[in-house]
Amino acid sequence: MNVLTSRWLPHAIFAFAAFAMPLVFSGNRYFAFIVGITLLSVLWATGMNLLYGYTGLMPLMFAGIAGISAYVTIGLSAAGWSFWLAMLVGSIAASLVGIVLGLPSLRLRGFYFTLCSLVIQSVITLAFVYFVNLTNGDVGISHIPLPELPGGGQLTGTSYELVLAALTVIGVVVLTLLVESGFGHRLIAIREDDGLAETLGINVTRQRLAAFFIASLFASIGGALYAPYVGFVSPRSFDVLVSLNIWLMVAFGGRGTIWGPVVGAVILAPLPFLLQDYYMIKDVVYGLLIIGVIVLLPAGIVGGWKRKAAAGEPAPDVAQKTAPAR
Amino acid sequence: MSDATIIILLSMITTGLMLGMIFSLVAVGVTIIYGSIWMPNAANGQFFLLAALLLWSASVSWGLHPALAALIIIGLSVPFSYALEILLIRRFYDVPNRNISYFVLSLGITQILAGIFSITYGIWSDQFQLPPLVGGLTMLGPFPMVNNRLAAMLIAALLLVALFTLLRYHRYGRALRAVFQNREAAALRGVDVRAVYRMSFVLGNAVVFAGGVLFACAYSFDFSIAWTMAITAFAIMIIGGPGSVLGALVIGMVFGLTQAAVSIFASPTIAAFSYLGAMLVILLFRPSGLFAR
Repeated sequence: MNVLTSRWLPHAIFAFAAFAMPLVFSGNRYFAFIVGITLLSVLWATGMNLLYGYTGLMPLMFAGIAGISAYVTIGLSAAGWSFWLAMLVGSIAASLVGIVLGLPSLRLRGFYFTLCSLVIQSVITLAFVYFVNLTNGDVGISHIPLPELPGGGQLTGTSYELVLAALTVIGVVVLTLLVESGFGHRLIAIREDDGLAETLGINVTRQRLAAFFIASLFASIGGALYAPYVGFVSPRSFDVLVSLNIWLMVAFGGRGTIWGPVVGAVILAPLPFLLQDYYMIKDVVYGLLIIGVIVLLPAGIVGGWKRKAAAGEPAPDVAQKTAPAR
Repeated sequence: MSDATIIILLSMITTGLMLGMIFSLVAVGVTIIYGSIWMPNAANGQFFLLAALLLWSASVSWGLHPALAALIIIGLSVPFSYALEILLIRRFYDVPNRNISYFVLSLGITQILAGIFSITYGIWSDQFQLPPLVGGLTMLGPFPMVNNRLAAMLIAALLLVALFTLLRYHRYGRALRAVFQNREAAALRGVDVRAVYRMSFVLGNAVVFAGGVLFACAYSFDFSIAWTMAITAFAIMIIGGPGSVLGALVIGMVFGLTQAAVSIFASPTIAAFSYLGAMLVILLFRPSGLFAR
């Protein structure tokens, strides 16, 4: 039992913080909203971590998948469906799309996969702009109704943040369980050397696509909940910069660790709100952060700390020796 | 064919050639850098825009002659590239799998430049137009041609020929190709790999700057050109084959002519869709490109 408590202690602390923060800030909608967005970002970063940290693929179409889920959920809700059913259908549909978008990873790796995912993200964004009757184009959809509750009434205010907290905690626990399971070990084996993994009898195709499905599920549940929470979506809500920001949270915190992306999201997600008065320099700050992470912290905050703690263990970015396509 | 049809056709061809040459220039710049350092420079569009905006400032605000200003700006790209190389690029020369680090790094540079542009030039205007390099019209038989664009086209063509010759026949070009094919073997044969890296970063960026300057001379532009150019140059590089200068030239011309034709018959969005689609197909089925060496 002792082992169990120590192993799950960080999760318990995180869960406590996740549920406590919305209650602490329940008096101030603005701060509560920042908490809500941060929780969503933790969920997204955790999902991307499965792909970027544990599978070794950098998916820049992550936000696009969240967007597909958001638009499907909004569309189905508008057609009279219950939000929760719409969210379920939207998330699963978007995750199936995620599997299809993950197919290139079977042929491409490293930079070529990233470039391919960037192209896919651009196509998704163009499609969001192009199919005006589904997405209302660049104008976006505003006044998205809040999810209804089974007992009547709507999910709003602090209770919405508590739902986000619950899903985020579940997300982190699920990722922990996955990573510690045989599935997680197989993914790491593939990340390190997919040829060798194949030789060892691991079905690389199936594991990769399963990783894409699960990560897309994180993206799309977040996307479905994002839309009513913010009340407004446009193609810009899910464009490549959003993918890049989520990537930054993962890389900044430390990919391939459970808590790195959580720390990254908690630090970076509130940043745009705090920088609101300096709106003009936001892009510059983000660019400097990206460069800073790449140059100074290739293993991220938590990764760098872990490496120091266990000297001799190679950094994940050094160990990642998947051969480039040429 | 009536005269009107011929004029449309002719203007389509000249626009296509002009765009094609600029696309080729930028793509050659991008592919030189990728071919040697393995840096997929996503910031090429912002560099392109930077050159165009500087030229606008120099000729509109400070009243310099565009030709002189253009030369100065291309010259300025050299210390700019050197500084970047020393500050950032050099650190990754020996990192395995560095192309993904470089890619993200260049996305960071893109963000910074885009942010800087929007707080500087963004306040003044959203459409930039330069005074013509040379005035007047030339009659090509019965068809009028703007001298300014003809001049830009001529310069672009000369630059492309010069570049191609340099990379084909000069020692540096041979060293570059040797490094691209096998860095270790090239080093063993006495090629200074780091010098080639530095040289190609500087040269590649200078070529991108030249593309931006020429584009600004020939057309009016806005900020969106940066993103369009970045995607187009990447698409050309991937389809032509990363590191292949010939591929960048040929596919660049094809893209330019397609763009000119498509924008007469359909919207630019369709053109963007088709580039992205072509790039996806090539990435999936022939990742080394059509002109792979």
